Amino acid sequence: MTAPTLTKDAVAPAASAAPTADAGWTAGAARSPAARHLPSLVRAIARKAGRGIWASGAIVLFLLLWELGPTYLASASTRVFLPPLHEVLRALGTLIDKGQLQNHLAASLTRSASGFGIAVVSAVALGLLVAWYRSLDRFLNPLLEVFRNTAALALLPVFTLLLGIGETSKISIVAYAAFFPVLLNTIAGVRTVDPLLIRAARSLGLSNFRLFQKVILPSAVPTIFTGIRMAGTSSILVLIAAEMVGAKAGLGYLIVNSQMSFLIPDMYAGILTVSLLGLLVNYLLVAVERHFSRWRTAVGSQSN
Amino acid sequence: MTRVTGQTPKISLRNVGKQFTVRASKDQPEGTTLTALEGITLDVAAGEFITLVGPSGSGKTTLLDLLAGLTRPDTGQILVDGKEVTGPGRDRAVVFQQYALFPWRTAAANVAFGLEGTGSEGRRLNRKERADKARHYLELVGLSGFEDRYPHELSGGMKQRVAIARSLAYEPDVLLMDEPFAALDAQTREQLQEELLRIWRATGKTIIFITHGIDEAVYLGQRVAVLSSRPGRLKQIVDIDLGERSGDGDVRSDAVFVEHRHKVWSLLHDEVRKAQDAGHAKIRPDGFAPDEAPQLSKGQISTGRAA
Repeated sequence: MTAPTLTKDAVAPAASAAPTADAGWTAGAARSPAARHLPSLVRAIARKAGRGIWASGAIVLFLLLWELGPTYLASASTRVFLPPLHEVLRALGTLIDKGQLQNHLAASLTRSASGFGIAVVSAVALGLLVAWYRSLDRFLNPLLEVFRNTAALALLPVFTLLLGIGETSKISIVAYAAFFPVLLNTIAGVRTVDPLLIRAARSLGLSNFRLFQKVILPSAVPTIFTGIRMAGTSSILVLIAAEMVGAKAGLGYLIVNSQMSFLIPDMYAGILTVSLLGLLVNYLLVAVERHFSRWRTAVGSQSN
Repeated sequence: MTRVTGQTPKISLRNVGKQFTVRASKDQPEGTTLTALEGITLDVAAGEFITLVGPSGSGKTTLLDLLAGLTRPDTGQILVDGKEVTGPGRDRAVVFQQYALFPWRTAAANVAFGLEGTGSEGRRLNRKERADKARHYLELVGLSGFEDRYPHELSGGMKQRVAIARSLAYEPDVLLMDEPFAALDAQTREQLQEELLRIWRATGKTIIFITHGIDEAVYLGQRVAVLSSRPGRLKQIVDIDLGERSGDGDVRSDAVFVEHRHKVWSLLHDEVRKAQDAGHAKIRPDGFAPDEAPQLSKGQISTGRAA
C-alpha cells in the first residue's frame, strides 16, 4: 500500500503540507519552485511507470514462481506434473506452429460465439416482453427462477442425451448458461427506467413503440450490457466444461486430451490459452459496456 | 401585457373533477376514493401567463396532468382551442420540476427529441433541420455553445433551460410548467424567472405555471389562481397588475407587488392551515396519497413545502 500513497502525494499540490517522512523525494521536489515544470513531466512518467510496475508485480511474481518453483522447490515427481513456464510456452509455440491450437481455438470460439449470440438475442427479447407485460412476468417468473437456479452443467447430460454429442448440444448449453444473466439484467434495466422520463416522453405524445425505442431501451442499455458481460464470462466457462466431457476439438478437449496422453506441457498451454481468451473477452465486453454507458459515468458524483 | 378578451379562450376548464382510488390497505380492504379536484372552472386566454398556487395536496400536479392529457378527468371537460383534450398533444408541452432530461442524449439531442416524430404539418424534419432548430432554441434559452454537453455536465439551472428549450422546440401553443424552478437556488431561480418572462414576451405562448411560491406566482402571472386545500377547488383568481415593468427595477419591493403578494398570501394562508391540520401531503402520480392511508396518525406529515 505504500506505493499508491507515494503517487497520491505527488498528484496533490498540497504535498508539501503532507507528512514527508515516507513521501521523501516527491514532496521535496514539489517544494522547490525553480524545478517545478520539467520535473513535473518526469514525475508524471515515473508515476505512471511506477504504477504499472506495481500493478503487474503480482503477475510477474506468479510467473517467476511458476518458472523457478518446479525446478528448485518441487520434488522430481511433482516437476513432471508441473513443468516450468518455459516448457509450457515452448509447447504452446509448437501447438501454434502445427496449427493445432488455432483449430481448437476456432472450434471453441465458434461454439461460444453462436451460443452467446443466441442467448443475447433471445434473452433481450424475452426480457423486454417480461418487463413490459406484468402478467407475463407473473406467469413465467416461477419457472424462470427454477431454471435459473439449476446449474447449467447439471443439465449437460440432458443436453447430450437429447441433442447428441455434436455441436448442437454444446451451443445449446452455452446459450442456456448465457441466457439468464442477460435476461435478468434486461428485466432490471427496463424496470428501473425513471418514471419521470416516461411521463415526459408521454407528454410529447410518443406511441408505445416509440417510447420503447427512444426512452426505455436506451435507458436500459447499460444494465443490459452488464448482463451481457456476465454472460460472456459464463459462456466460456460452461463451454470448456462441456468440451471436457465429450468433444473432438476445442480448448476443453485439448486440455483433457493432453492430460490423458500425458502431454502435460500441452495441457498447461491449453489452460493458459483459456485464461488469455477469458481475459480478452472480458476486456472487450467491458470496453463495449463502457462505450454504451458513457452518459452514466458522472451520475454518482453529481445528483441532479 | 393586456389580456385578450372576447375571443374563444385558449384553454377552457369546465367543472373539472378528478378522483383517485386509494390503494386497499389492511384496515380498509375495499380501498376508498379520494377527490383530488372538484368543480374547477377556468378560462385561459391565448397568450396569457397564469400561475396556480395551492397548498400541498390541493391537486396542482393532478390538474397539470389533466391539461397535458396524461390522465382524463372524471367529471367535466377540458377544452383547448374549443376541442376536448383526449390525450397528450403537440399543442401542449410540459416542463417538469425534475427536468426530465434524457441523460444519454446531449443538450441538443434532448431539444431535438420532440422533433423526431412526424411534425404538425405531417412532415418529418431531417437531421440538419432538427439540429438547426435545436441550436436556435438553445440560443433562445441562453445556452449557445452547450449543444454537445450531456445533462450530467450541466448545472440544475442549465438543465431546466434545456428542458424549456425542448418544450419550445416543437412549437406548442401552450406551456404547462410544474414547479419548474422549485429545485433551483434563489439566484438561479430569479434569473430563470426573468428569462421565462422574456421568452414568453418573445414567443407569445400561453403559459400555465404551477408553483408553491407566492412571490413567484405574483411576479410571473398576469393572474394568480388560488386553489383550496383538498379537494382542490378554485378559491379565487387574483388579477395582477404591476404596471409596465422596466426590467431592471426591483419589482418585488414595489408597494403594488407587496400588496398583491399579501392578498394571495391571505387567500392561501387559511388553506395551508387546513391542509396542515388534515395532514395532507402530495398525491403521487399513481393516485397513492400517503396521508390518506388510515394507519397513519393525522398531522404527522409535514406540509412545510406549501407557501
